[in-house]
Amino acid sequence: MRKLPLHRRTLLAAALAVGFAAPAFAAPQINTPAPAFRQLDQDGKPRSLADFRGKTVVLEWTSAACPYSHKHYDSGNMQRLQAKARKQGVVWLTIITDAPGTSGYMDAAQVRAWMKKEHSHATAVLLDSDARVARAYEAKTTPHMFIIDKAGRLVYMGGIDDRPFTDPASLKGAKNYVALALADLKAGRPIAEPVTRPYGCSVKYGP
Amino acid sequence: MMRWLAALLAFLALAGAAYAQPVNTGHLTAELVPQAQGIAPGQTIYVALRQQMLPGWHTYWRNPGDSGQPTEIKWALPDGWRAGDIVWPTPVRIPVGPLVNYGYEGQVLLPVAITAPADARVGQTATLSADAAFLVCREECVPEDAKLNLSLPITSGPAPADPRWGALIGKTLAEAPKPAGLTAAFEKRGPDVVLAVAGAPLKGAADVGAYFYPFDSTVIDHGKPQVAERGPDGLTLTVTPGYAFQGGAAPKAIAGVLALDGKAYELTAAPGPPPAGTSGLGPPAAKGSPGAGAGGPSLGLISAAAFAFVGGLILNLMPCVFPVLAMKAASLAAHGGGEERRARTHGLAFGAGVLATFLILAAVLIGLKAAGAAIGWGFQLQSPPVVAVLALLMLAVALDLSGVFEVGTSLQGVGSGLAARQGLAGDVFTGALAVVVAAPCTAPFMGAAIGWALTQPPAAALAVFVALAIGFALPFVAVTFWPGLLARLPRPGPWMDVFRKVLAFPMYGAAAWLVWVLTLQAGAPALARILAAAIVLALAAWLAGLAQKRAAAGARPLATGFAAGLLAAAALVAVVWPAYGQAQAAPGVETAHATAEPYSPERLAALRAQGKPVFVDYTAAWCVSCQVNDRVVLSTRPVVDAIHKYDVAYLTADWTRRDPAIAADLARFGRAGVPLYLVYGADGGKPAILPAILTQGMVIKALQAASKAR
Repeated sequence: MRKLPLHRRTLLAAALAVGFAAPAFAAPQINTPAPAFRQLDQDGKPRSLADFRGKTVVLEWTSAACPYSHKHYDSGNMQRLQAKARKQGVVWLTIITDAPGTSGYMDAAQVRAWMKKEHSHATAVLLDSDARVARAYEAKTTPHMFIIDKAGRLVYMGGIDDRPFTDPASLKGAKNYVALALADLKAGRPIAEPVTRPYGCSVKYGP
Repeated sequence: MMRWLAALLAFLALAGAAYAQPVNTGHLTAELVPQAQGIAPGQTIYVALRQQMLPGWHTYWRNPGDSGQPTEIKWALPDGWRAGDIVWPTPVRIPVGPLVNYGYEGQVLLPVAITAPADARVGQTATLSADAAFLVCREECVPEDAKLNLSLPITSGPAPADPRWGALIGKTLAEAPKPAGLTAAFEKRGPDVVLAVAGAPLKGAADVGAYFYPFDSTVIDHGKPQVAERGPDGLTLTVTPGYAFQGGAAPKAIAGVLALDGKAYELTAAPGPPPAGTSGLGPPAAKGSPGAGAGGPSLGLISAAAFAFVGGLILNLMPCVFPVLAMKAASLAAHGGGEERRARTHGLAFGAGVLATFLILAAVLIGLKAAGAAIGWGFQLQSPPVVAVLALLMLAVALDLSGVFEVGTSLQGVGSGLAARQGLAGDVFTGALAVVVAAPCTAPFMGAAIGWALTQPPAAALAVFVALAIGFALPFVAVTFWPGLLARLPRPGPWMDVFRKVLAFPMYGAAAWLVWVLTLQAGAPALARILAAAIVLALAAWLAGLAQKRAAAGARPLATGFAAGLLAAAALVAVVWPAYGQAQAAPGVETAHATAEPYSPERLAALRAQGKPVFVDYTAAWCVSCQVNDRVVLSTRPVVDAIHKYDVAYLTADWTRRDPAIAADLARFGRAGVPLYLVYGADGGKPAILPAILTQGMVIKALQAASKAR
């Protein structure tokens, strides 16, 4: 039975027919190499994690249709954090995973307009509607924050702060885990709280 | 006068019962509803926040799961009044893509204990106010809030139940999770966390759909399935750890609600080994633990049936089936010319045998699946006694083909005098035999179809199995129905005897292969046992042949026949009883790849985190397609070279013995059995799924693509 009496093309067709790709989850682990990714940004430029070796990278999941993201953008909280991080040489990638057909989905032109409107200070916004990056990081919520250090290790994952509410008043006195983690990194200290609970709307994965 | 007025007011309030105004907040209607028509000074009654959601919308439990926010109530009560915490009813799981939320759909009552002060004035009406804030979600989420009021008369004694809500609040309270003196412990075991629970309420309980809802959202990964195993005094759930276990940390305790078919208990698990009696009895006899979250790929009934049909057709060509069917077809040719009617009867009898056997297998499979067993197609071959019996069966068929003895109607017409009835029974038997030996050869198409079928209600699942049976039986039945085809089969002659004896050898091969599988499963002692049994069976076959020859010569060789039967029975018993031990080493399907590593979800995650492309080979020793692929494609020089060249990590997921983690993976990709080949690209995206039958070119191309994806 060396060769099965089946035409190869038939087999390939079968493979296509049967080969549904289902999500394969493998949770990212803190203090291990961050999952690699490659995705297009708002200008159609491919961005991959490897491009930023030697720099600290922040990943921020957001959705224009999510009240939790709105709390941080409408108040300017997220933009301030972005600007401060960028000033320190940190690469900030905002990631929009909302699948086509969901209310937060945006095409490249819409993302560019959104960045302008929100005065985003992100290095780039990744158009992740096929959820490639989200699945690699098991992103659960908007916002959901990750920090990758200069060596490419995942050093922070979790919420943006300790106030899992939509009310803008909750920002007052909030403990911003991302700001604290970036400060720890800058000072060469171990990150005090490297894993926290992410909160927000669910990431809108496509079917 | 004042007193009279107060009494009148109280009466009016009672007449209208306690009074509340529902508020529509956009996606739900909220109101405060009381358990009783009034409250006595010092008494505690329950007042519930009632939420009536629009269809498709939900609010959240105290732990909302992967996203969301629990409902909050801020009370504004008259002086001296006290409100307790929300009594959270057991939530439901609400999958959102690969994520899972815990919450409520339709209507929910969230009861809160309200205590009136001892000096509350009888006859007055207290106004209870609450600011309720909640996130209400469908796909998108809307934060809404409502200012709610409830007017509650203060009565001299406990007031009668509220006619509208009293009973429902009572039921909600009765059904809410409560501590039940359960002993629970958790322990990290490999990539999983094992949560074991023991206690009187679980003893012999119908553990239907056991599921653990943690209070803290970081202790488990809500989107992953929970695998349950029963024990005499409790049960064990294998869950995927959440963020709290990251970086080698572990929580000091895991508290939450264990839900079991309508009942729910609060528990707190301490770190440590499982309490006694929480495992060992297999999966619960129930609907299993519904793996919410990443739903398998969907396949409609029609396409699943079509795949099954084509899969059945292809099954005919598999190495373990072909000899049986080829001989049968050749014997049919003997019926050629003028005997078409009889040929058809034979064909139909064969078809009936195939159909019946598939349905029996399907019923067993569906039944076990319903019992929550993490099994799939080919499951029969995970049990050493079944493998041993099959090995003997293959040997018996081979000995028959070699001419040592004859079964049923002789293929050469020696027994043409035998009754047609006996011939038909032989056909049915051939059909059954063909199905039994075909099980390990999961043909392409079939994997997806059966995988789909097992997730469906029994009727749809049976339909798929029927399609499979029809596809499997069709070529043979068609031959019997198409006189033209029959005529085209070679004429019977002496060549048939040669052909038959040649075909005996693939069957010997099949028997040898099953012995190898058995050795992997049960170790060297099993090898001695099966070989001894094989020799006894061969002796029995020879004696049977001797008896048949003497009978043909007119003698009545009762003793010889009896001895043959006795020996065969002895061989059979010897391989089934006593129970087999387990192999010492890991079962390990050997692969020729120096770089192959055993699969674990953790290892896969680590490799992917390093940005390495990964090839995962889901295989089993008893899976012929897997072994063929391994020998003909995966272990060949060009493929091994490509694995090195593209720096692909090769992981072997061995399903020779039962493994819930692998079964869960297969289910996630919509498969019920092996083989399954996944190629994860270096870019961390979805894996490519290779077909069930591989070619070198296809694999090399996939490896190349995976490394390029960087």
